[in-house]
Amino acid sequence: MIKEKVTIVNNAGLHARPAAALVKLASKFESDFFIHMYGYKVNGKSILGVMTLAAEQGAELELEIDGPDEKEAAESIIELIEDGFGEVYEEDE
Amino acid sequence: MKKMSDNLQAEEVLLKGAAAAPGIAVGKASLYRQRRPRIYGQNITDDQVGHQLERFEKALDVAREELDSLRADQDHEDASDLLQTQIQMLGDPDLHSRIENEIKNNNKAADAAIDKVFEDYLNVMKRQEGVLKERSVDISDVRDRLIQIVNNEDGKPRFEPGTILVAHNLSPREVIEFSENNIAGIIMDKGGTTSHAAILARAMQIPAIVGVKDASETIGADELLILDGVEGSIVVNPSTTTRKKYDERISRVAEEHSREQALCEKKSETADGHPFVLRANVEFQEELNFVDIYQAEGIGLLRTESMYLHQSSFRDEEKQCDFYRTVLKATHPHPVTVRLFDAGGDKFFDLGQEEQNPFLGWRGIRMLLDQRPLLEQQLKAILKSAGTYPGRTRILVPMVTTLDEVEIINKTVKKLQNQLKENNCKVDEDIEVGLMVEVPNVAVQAEDFARKTDFLSIGTNDLTQYLLAVDRGNERISNLYDQRHPAVWRLIQMVAEAGKRTGTPVSVCGELSSDPVAACCLLGMGINELSMTPALLPKVKQALCSHTLKEMDQLVSEVLKCTTTAEVDSLFSNF
Repeated sequence: MIKEKVTIVNNAGLHARPAAALVKLASKFESDFFIHMYGYKVNGKSILGVMTLAAEQGAELELEIDGPDEKEAAESIIELIEDGFGEVYEEDE
Repeated sequence: MKKMSDNLQAEEVLLKGAAAAPGIAVGKASLYRQRRPRIYGQNITDDQVGHQLERFEKALDVAREELDSLRADQDHEDASDLLQTQIQMLGDPDLHSRIENEIKNNNKAADAAIDKVFEDYLNVMKRQEGVLKERSVDISDVRDRLIQIVNNEDGKPRFEPGTILVAHNLSPREVIEFSENNIAGIIMDKGGTTSHAAILARAMQIPAIVGVKDASETIGADELLILDGVEGSIVVNPSTTTRKKYDERISRVAEEHSREQALCEKKSETADGHPFVLRANVEFQEELNFVDIYQAEGIGLLRTESMYLHQSSFRDEEKQCDFYRTVLKATHPHPVTVRLFDAGGDKFFDLGQEEQNPFLGWRGIRMLLDQRPLLEQQLKAILKSAGTYPGRTRILVPMVTTLDEVEIINKTVKKLQNQLKENNCKVDEDIEVGLMVEVPNVAVQAEDFARKTDFLSIGTNDLTQYLLAVDRGNERISNLYDQRHPAVWRLIQMVAEAGKRTGTPVSVCGELSSDPVAACCLLGMGINELSMTPALLPKVKQALCSHTLKEMDQLVSEVLKCTTTAEVDSLFSNF
């Protein structure tokens, strides 16, 4: 099992589109994926779960990835989040 | 709360909110009350479980079909992304298992089970802080639609065309759906100007005001409304005087509009019959209809930064290709000049680097040459779409300062074209590659650069900034920034002359070209292709059409004699 902390860096936070992108990516992997934030734990493959986190810029997430392809999954998920979901700019959300 | 319509004599009332989408609309109020759908479900017996599960499954299918078809008709990327998120919710594995659990193990009817599970999600969100929790409207929208479908309720109100929709809060799906009824405006109790509903209203050009406290409670059905999407105000039951005032304003706007329209239809030639070309500067897909409205002859500057910075197309060649194709399709048969990704300077692109002097730093072509995959991906997307519409695409390279950079770009374009041909892609063999002239050294050496390229495009904003050493974003010194500075004119003249000597077309795509007299001066210098924000086009056209080339020549020779900006200004105001 891999546990890793990441911070949401994009201005608009984990709003609908990034949440959708995160879930889509996570669902490609066989490994289980959970996100812990401020005492909540959600399934990272559940869009509703991820959206209910309402993680804003600066929020710290703890990722928990467990399964046969956990290493690869962790790498790409962390890259997506640290890359600000490709939204480096101020999103006009 | 008492309805205004209950009063015998309807009284004029002014409501204030946040202007979310510009425009003035006059129309009757259509009220839209989102009632939470009723839950009919009772506790069910074990032998009804199968049936209830089936109803739930079927509701998912119906809802998905609805959203899919709504999405298929959507040209707006924001709208399409939002609908995609809702489609994803319908496929959420946790949602499925929780609802199935409520039905199977807690003997709940489908509607009650859906309601309970969504309520759990929304309750968690309520405990969160911050703006993101407002986004729960997307979630409750999916819930309500599912319950309506389970209970065979239509839930799709229709509105009279031309009415102004008044609602407590609208989900993106609702805005998209109702826009198809040709509503004249939108008023919402809730939401800020950055809410999804507001973003969509702007994209769809429906005047809108949001954050109007209690609007949906106080405005009565069919009351007459004036919605001023510029000021963010609503007049309910306007008095005759107010109506007159607004009618005048609307007709003034309409008059202005028809005057502009007449101008736009005029032939693009000077009073003595010399032709010129006006094109549009465009960044977003939503601006394409302005190219049409103001009859710009294609796009002189297509900015591509938004694709990288705003949207998910970062590292997605196909999405980029779609964007270019959409633009080319909309501007047929005119040319489109695509500027390569121009990062840096005032356009924040944080890859962890911090620069002492960002405007003199890692930007434009300098960054692209360091990020070859990014550059090649963009070039490939441009070349592919150009192949579909041959002869119409031009590539523009930003922030060039050396001849080597030009050589590398030319070679890369050739290399990629050959690659595409090997893969049996249609290729535009004669695609033109041009340079932005925005750094003074390029202007000084314009002839050398012109020989290595197909066209030059002067970016007057940056050129002025670099020439005068003034950061126009710096308030302390921005008064020193002046595009009409004599040195700017002399430098532009050098580029224009170099263009003539080498037979290289020169255009201007900076702010200077939208200054009507400056445009005359540019034409006098032999630069007859100008590109600008589409809305500024009519005024420029008017100036160009009403003067002779001879007058413009005369203006140029006087401007080139000026020694101060004040002298230029006085020449211009007397022109």
